Amino acid sequence: MTSPHTAPAMDDRELIASAQLGDRQAFGELVCRHQKSVVSVIYRMCGDPRLAEDAAQEAFVRVWQHLNSYKPQYAFRSWLYRIAANAALDALRRERPSAEIETLPLADPTPGPEQTAETDQRAAKVRQAVARLSEPLRVVLVLREYEELSYQEIAAALEIPLGTVMSRLNTARIQLRRELDGLLEAP
Amino acid sequence: MSEHMLEWLPAYHDHELPPAKRNQVESHLRDCSSCRAELQTLTGLSALLKTDPAPQFTPPERFATQVQLLLPRRAPSHPQRLPRWVLGAPLALVVVGAFLQAALWVTWLVLAAGSTFSGLASWLPTDSNLDIFGTLSVLNIALLTGAIVLWCTWMAFWWAWKYNQNLEPVFNQLEKEV
Repeated sequence: MTSPHTAPAMDDRELIASAQLGDRQAFGELVCRHQKSVVSVIYRMCGDPRLAEDAAQEAFVRVWQHLNSYKPQYAFRSWLYRIAANAALDALRRERPSAEIETLPLADPTPGPEQTAETDQRAAKVRQAVARLSEPLRVVLVLREYEELSYQEIAAALEIPLGTVMSRLNTARIQLRRELDGLLEAP
Repeated sequence: MSEHMLEWLPAYHDHELPPAKRNQVESHLRDCSSCRAELQTLTGLSALLKTDPAPQFTPPERFATQVQLLLPRRAPSHPQRLPRWVLGAPLALVVVGAFLQAALWVTWLVLAAGSTFSGLASWLPTDSNLDIFGTLSVLNIALLTGAIVLWCTWMAFWWAWKYNQNLEPVFNQLEKEV
């Protein structure tokens, strides 16, 4: 969504400044730029694509509502991920009774010829293992492994100390290694 | 061979170590097969996690349009700031109250000393000390009452402001539904 007055040259900071003044086009451009990351984080947190998209929409509405409390001296990405993680947790709490880990859907229900049943099964096992992690461990793991945020960025996004990021990441990896032991031996 | 560096390997794997420590770990890895195996497991786990691809989501433009339809009509709200005098009011009340209490107690002690050692405080009319103390006590009670009223007013003001802030999302939701 690139409109004439939100030219591609505009960086995030300019778009945020415009959106803070009520420019919806500028906000739309911001949504376009960050949609993939936000939906992806929420999807990795809850394992359900539909739920992830709904929660991501909710997250962006929150971003719009609180845009004026965002301070430009902090990284927008960290602020956005904080809102996304909270939206994911809210969605999980709402949907928990119906969200069964063992029935998490496969990423692509219509696999192409290159996708074997074995790789699908492996992907499902990975998703289930991630879903079994407790929420505090999962969110740190997702931000590091899938979004490739630095420890500092994760600490800023979740408002936790750097040491806590490292210890949660370590615990999450230990648990995953235990769960995915067979797959790790024969990658 | 030096001691194992297992506790540094996750940070090394995540490229989070400062250069000096990184060099140290790298030189250790050259000699330690056990740590190399551990690092390989960490790398293998990261690779395994990425074998679960994300599904196809709604295209960004369409998604942005959907989000825009959900946005409240009102522009993002500016965080309201309380006037400085409201924030300073409780502190000022405490300072003024403490000063008045101290002044009254000092006055009372001087008056009491005047009664006992009339030579030291002969300038005070000793026979009227009790009346003055009574007047000061009434004044003290009046001031304390005033301070409590001011405190309550401040609390009510703060609560009203906070409540108004909390109601904003509700107003936005109502506006959206209408």
